[in-house]
Amino acid sequence: MSKKEKDLREEPQTENNENALSDEATGEVLETDPEPISSAEMLRAEEETLSAEPEIPQALGQAEMATEETGEESDEIEDPIFRELAEPKLPELPKENRARLLMQSPTRIQFYWSVKHNPFQTLQKAIGNTGSYTLVVKLVNQTNGREEIFPVEAEGSWWFNVESNSVYRAEIGFYAPNRPFVRVMFSNALETPRRNPSPRQATDADWAVTAMEFANVLDATGYSQDAFEVAMAGDDRDRAEDATRNAFSQFIGDPKGSDDLEGIPMEEIRFALLAIASGFSLEDLRGHISAALLTLLEKNADKLTPENALAALNEHFDVSMEEVEEGEEVIGEAVYGLSLVHFPRSSRKRRTSPRTLLPKGIAPELERKISPVSSLRPV
Amino acid sequence: MPVGYFSLILHAHLPFVRHPEYPEFLEEDWFYEAITEVYLPLIHIFQNLHERGARPRLAMNVSPPLCEMLADKLLEERYTRHLENLLELARKEEVRVREEAPDFYDAARMYVDNLGAALDLWNNKYGRNLINAFRQLQEEGVLEIITCCATHGFLPLISTKEARRAQIQIAVANYKKHFHRQPRGIWLAECAYEPGIEHLLKESGIEYFIGDSHAILYGDPRPRFGVHAPIVCPNGVAVFARDVETSQQVWSAEVGYPGNGAYREFYRDVGWDLPIEYLRPHLHKDGARRHLGLKYHRITGRTVPGDKKEPYVPNWAREKAAEDATDFVRKRIEQAYRLRDGFGGHPPFVAAPYDAELYGHWWFEGPSFIDYVFRKIHFDQNEIEAITPGDFLDARIPIQIQQPTASSWGENGYYKVWINEGNSWMYPYQHDAERKMTELADYYHHPNEIEWRILNQLARELLLAQSSDWAFQIYQGTTVQYSSRRFQSHIHRFNLLAKMIDTKEFNHDLLAEIERRDNIFAEIDYRVYRSK
Repeated sequence: MSKKEKDLREEPQTENNENALSDEATGEVLETDPEPISSAEMLRAEEETLSAEPEIPQALGQAEMATEETGEESDEIEDPIFRELAEPKLPELPKENRARLLMQSPTRIQFYWSVKHNPFQTLQKAIGNTGSYTLVVKLVNQTNGREEIFPVEAEGSWWFNVESNSVYRAEIGFYAPNRPFVRVMFSNALETPRRNPSPRQATDADWAVTAMEFANVLDATGYSQDAFEVAMAGDDRDRAEDATRNAFSQFIGDPKGSDDLEGIPMEEIRFALLAIASGFSLEDLRGHISAALLTLLEKNADKLTPENALAALNEHFDVSMEEVEEGEEVIGEAVYGLSLVHFPRSSRKRRTSPRTLLPKGIAPELERKISPVSSLRPV
Repeated sequence: MPVGYFSLILHAHLPFVRHPEYPEFLEEDWFYEAITEVYLPLIHIFQNLHERGARPRLAMNVSPPLCEMLADKLLEERYTRHLENLLELARKEEVRVREEAPDFYDAARMYVDNLGAALDLWNNKYGRNLINAFRQLQEEGVLEIITCCATHGFLPLISTKEARRAQIQIAVANYKKHFHRQPRGIWLAECAYEPGIEHLLKESGIEYFIGDSHAILYGDPRPRFGVHAPIVCPNGVAVFARDVETSQQVWSAEVGYPGNGAYREFYRDVGWDLPIEYLRPHLHKDGARRHLGLKYHRITGRTVPGDKKEPYVPNWAREKAAEDATDFVRKRIEQAYRLRDGFGGHPPFVAAPYDAELYGHWWFEGPSFIDYVFRKIHFDQNEIEAITPGDFLDARIPIQIQQPTASSWGENGYYKVWINEGNSWMYPYQHDAERKMTELADYYHHPNEIEWRILNQLARELLLAQSSDWAFQIYQGTTVQYSSRRFQSHIHRFNLLAKMIDTKEFNHDLLAEIERRDNIFAEIDYRVYRSK
């Protein structure tokens, strides 16, 4: 992270110090002459931002095709209406205020935006000296309050790696060190979904399902990785959280290592430990875990060995080497026909012993009530 | 009570492809091939099963664009010519193959029989109207026909509530036009869901939708029976989720039935194998080679190269389809027992949704497989019962309340196929049009006749631009040019019409021509886009 990026992140951003010029993506701003925007960071932003200009493949000219095919269409080709429709034009997008977040996956979203009127002129009219202000996009995770800020131009699009199970909003506005953030417009709120089973069971007794029972259900459905995780976490969330924190501390060899886990879902940490124990590299995990956890792991890169991860999982969850090895058949998305139908990947072996399915220390009498994951399989 | 319920759900959909401005058009072949290879065989099989007392029962989505194409006179005429032309080629081939390549004779003979039967069914039994045939099957209790988003719009990527609502309400209105009743269920395009969509469904009287497995498995709270029982959203709309095991058995290119060596090879086609001069009378006027649907080879082996494929033997393939159907039903029974035992005696519901076009087009023997599956379910066992989602709801079996989670049935389970670096350029245009449509619908309370026509045509152009098929095919790398062009065309036409109504400079000829080309949903009423 560059110093400037760090500064941008550290600048306190609250609703109180924001001076919104417009609250809506479609709101009006004052029309003024355009002001050139150029700086090294702008150039960088331009490089990283996907072009707002559509790269549209040239379609076959049906008009030409018709001319080649038959003579009878030649009159139609001369017809201005026929020609108008035969050569569809996708114009440059008109200048409008747009700010839209779209989800691609629980961990990847796209933001496209454009500001109708020159925002610097508007800012100048509002506050006078625009000084060191830079036009930025601010992505706000409304669930945990984290913000990211990147310099941008008045229109563009950008892909963000984000966290699952969170609500995001993007803002276009002006940033300057030690000055209030000035919001120009903001996007729709976008909720990224959970990408693993809910930790919550139904309160109605008819539908309540224990972790073990639900692991069985997941396993029978082909979601064996999720079954493994659900079984490992068990029903006692506090105990599972303690075990996860302790396992992580042991993994990175720092008794206080779990202090930095604030805001990171426990199931994500267990997923990362299991993946590393299974031989996946940190690079493999990129895009599959949150940026916060990735950063934390990167800081401890020298300790990220499969052996360390397995030892931590074994100590705190009784996970054995056999369980983290590649297990069942892996089914990809390749299908017959047109649809690319999603199949869950079931690369991890099922846990087959009820004794090993919960964090250590669970009462033996409770263990006996729990059926093995394989109970749904045919005898 | 059976050990378990089995629900086959077929999703029949093609994008609206109709080009009256040209005498023939390559992409219209998608529709013609699907009629010959999928819809006619399935209708015929279901009708036969019903008449023989085998009581087939399944849910089938016939998407609104497909309904509109099936009801279109121009496409009806063109399809008839297409089928007659193909039958003529098949007859010519029967003679040629008998002399020149006797190993292929059984296959050539099969095509003459099949295509002759298809033409007879088309012209005589169904009177060139497959909508009537589908409707009759629904009235006879064979099919529970459900609807789909109006133009297969991918709802989570549509930007306004009004435009999402329009995809549902226009679909329901179109369903009523063709099937004369209210649809009970909907196939959300690509099974794409995000929380909140259920409210739009309820507004339109929809009782249930089909979701992907993790819509329920990752929903909150945890589903007691996983995907093997429906859940009901807090607002009362039910969700039936895809069973992975049945999907893999049929659909997986790695382990699915269609990969068996006895089945017909899709990619070897006489359109590419025979001399161009010989084929020319059966090609389009541009003389370009294309798939014609006569294929003489079997898969032979997964790794066997195309030029080493062996001759197709129809009897072997039929026997294999029966064998696979037996295996499929046996596995459903085993699955029902083990799930029921795991559920403390609660009978599981296995929802098995597939693209209808898999059966017959991609997997040539697929319709025969379905035929055998229903025969075996009816005649050879009592453990599983074939029902529809609507039947399950009618049984008043208690259903867990749960909030499903965002998902689709596409690659990786979310929206990547429909929004990625290659096709995200489409959305600012689409979203602008969505906003504009509602602005105009709100503004025009008493339009004159031409304004009314323009507003309705604007709605059609927006709907056609929203088809998820274009973004999908761009991502797939198949027919990229056509798909890009179609999207551009509908946005272009939308812009032309919007300018026309904004400036009041009406070009009657241009409007009439656009209406002639994009004539989907004659019943459309633009007011569905109003915000209030």
